[in-house]
Amino acid sequence: MASTGITKREELAFRRGVVNGKQLTVQEREAMLKPFLPPAPIETSLPLKSTKSPRLSQRTTAAPKPKPTPVRTAVHIVLHAIVSFFFSIFFRFRRSWRLFSYKVRGVLRHHHHTPEWIVNDVKNVEQLPKHISVVLDHREDDEDQGNAGLEGLVQDACEIAAWTASAGIPLLSIYERTGVLKNYVPQLHAAIQKNLESYFGTRRRPTLTVKAPHTISYSPPGTPSSEPTENGATTSRPHLTVLLLSEHDGRATLVDLTVTLAAMAQKADIDPKQIDIPLVDAELSDYVSSEPDLLVLFGPKVVLGGYPPWQLRLTEIFHLPDNKGVNYLVFRKALGMFGKAEFRVGK
Amino acid sequence: MASIHKHGISRWIAYSPPVAWTVRQLRELLIGALRQGPIPQHVAFVMDGNRRFAREHHIETVEGHNMGFEALARILEVCYKAGVKVVTIYAFSIENFKRSKHEVDALMELAKLKLGQLAEHGALLDRYGASIRILGNRELVKPDVIEAIDRAVSITAHNKSRAILNVCFPYTSRDEITTAIKSTVEQYNTPLDSLQTPSKRTFSESHIAQQIRKQMLEEDTDASSAPQESRSTSPSSLKEAKSVEGGRSSSATTAINSSDKDESYTTAPSYPDPETITAETLNEHMLTAGAPPLDLLVRTSGVERLSDFMLWQCHENTSIVFLKCLWPEFDLWQFLPVLVEWQWQKKKLQEQQKSRALSKAE
Repeated sequence: MASTGITKREELAFRRGVVNGKQLTVQEREAMLKPFLPPAPIETSLPLKSTKSPRLSQRTTAAPKPKPTPVRTAVHIVLHAIVSFFFSIFFRFRRSWRLFSYKVRGVLRHHHHTPEWIVNDVKNVEQLPKHISVVLDHREDDEDQGNAGLEGLVQDACEIAAWTASAGIPLLSIYERTGVLKNYVPQLHAAIQKNLESYFGTRRRPTLTVKAPHTISYSPPGTPSSEPTENGATTSRPHLTVLLLSEHDGRATLVDLTVTLAAMAQKADIDPKQIDIPLVDAELSDYVSSEPDLLVLFGPKVVLGGYPPWQLRLTEIFHLPDNKGVNYLVFRKALGMFGKAEFRVGK
Repeated sequence: MASIHKHGISRWIAYSPPVAWTVRQLRELLIGALRQGPIPQHVAFVMDGNRRFAREHHIETVEGHNMGFEALARILEVCYKAGVKVVTIYAFSIENFKRSKHEVDALMELAKLKLGQLAEHGALLDRYGASIRILGNRELVKPDVIEAIDRAVSITAHNKSRAILNVCFPYTSRDEITTAIKSTVEQYNTPLDSLQTPSKRTFSESHIAQQIRKQMLEEDTDASSAPQESRSTSPSSLKEAKSVEGGRSSSATTAINSSDKDESYTTAPSYPDPETITAETLNEHMLTAGAPPLDLLVRTSGVERLSDFMLWQCHENTSIVFLKCLWPEFDLWQFLPVLVEWQWQKKKLQEQQKSRALSKAE
């Protein structure tokens, strides 16, 4: 669309504050603005007019101003109905088309449960994230996807863990709003282990740690987890860490931190002036999670649903519009996009 | 708009008064139509792509920022005419200070100039009911810019409800969250009973506060009314605590506030109980305190990242939209589909909730 509904003279006036080579005064600027203004609210219009010069008020009456007449409102309602009708048809068609194309592409570029295929898919990307994060939904009904409830959640987590391990990414954090997975850490560990075996075979299977913030199984980075990581954990095997996050690790954790800091300040253990970004960041990345490089959403639109806010600073957020459910296509595309992304903090 | 760098007949047509008039009427009509549906109360924009636009059109970077400002003016007009209450824009990040000095200075100059112009038109702003707020770390801004900011803010401060423009300048979300934590800690670090020594009165204020609290506890025995109570008292008490730090009123109100939930509050302690800090408390210490929850966040230029913007505000139910177009090209024609889609999703969500409520009722 080339036109913005503004004439050349007005545009120049706005850009440079000059009309016909002359600098505009405050009054002239206001006079030029008149036709663009919304109707004045009744209570303030009277004192406004009295302060204006007579020339200005003449202009005000000359310029036709849109008032909310019944006819106009009716036109608006009809137009709104028409616009939303056509857009809703458009959105529905677009969604069906996208879902169809995702299905086709998903079949064509399937991973066949083989790590080599996945390695092949990611070998051309320039950079891989060191920490990938996914958002899963806990659904009551499965909508014929066969992935409802806890079982579906575990199934999704297993698949994603296998893809992550195949792509060679060492850290995966799984965000699920309710945090139900945190109650089943050992079971989830066993399930993921089994799925990794089906991908890699028993010999090449990567070692695995499953942990959640604020739990006993949590261990600081660098030391091996207390989780059973299988007896023959040789150093040659890659290691995958799966971190379980929930809504509680978001705002509630920041509140916890504030409470702790307030209590410490009251005991004069710290000075409030000592609270700065590095301190908060260090606490949160030690006790919750570090900043993920890539966040993959499997939902149809970008809604974070309570994802820990502090950690999302520079995270690349990926979603496929209108996509539904966990599938490999989203994962592959996310890694592809991340490979191309530029990171210029502030520049 | 790109048209400034186009030549020939299309440009002449676009600028001709009848075409300009028609387009303007069409815009008015569309905005009026949009108003008929649900409208997001709080919209945030990340104005990304000014420099790329300048590069692609072979103009100076500073000129790109100028055109970005024009795009902002257009989009603000759309937002306020459509009925958006609060618009938050990411004008300048703390990280942006890393850019070349020339560009930073030019941006500061632009901010000063536009804020100065704005301050000249106080009456017009009143007509919009518009109010400007600058969110950010003031310590990083030069004094002359601060002066322009303060003037523009003070001239519009009395307009409260209709249209608020939050300019994040220089801002990062981590800085905001940290500052909120710090100010909360400072507030809870203000001793309560140290204030009783200067006032030699028979009645202890904390005792009165306790009495009130006791009555309140008796009144709202059901749990549902209790959180509401704490929410309504906390904003006022926070403000008072901030303004008259060490004042007597703060001690009384915070004592009531702190004792809302704490059952074991018996003897007057020297500090308010930190356990009463909630997400709501932190929310009130954020720079966007008082604004409705963020409904929509739009980022242009195809970068799919938040870049340290509105982290606290947008991580719940905000619809985040990433657009491919560059910010100076952003106009009603790009924004309209976003808004219509938002309305459509909103309607769908409401239908879902309704059907869920119905199925639960059955």
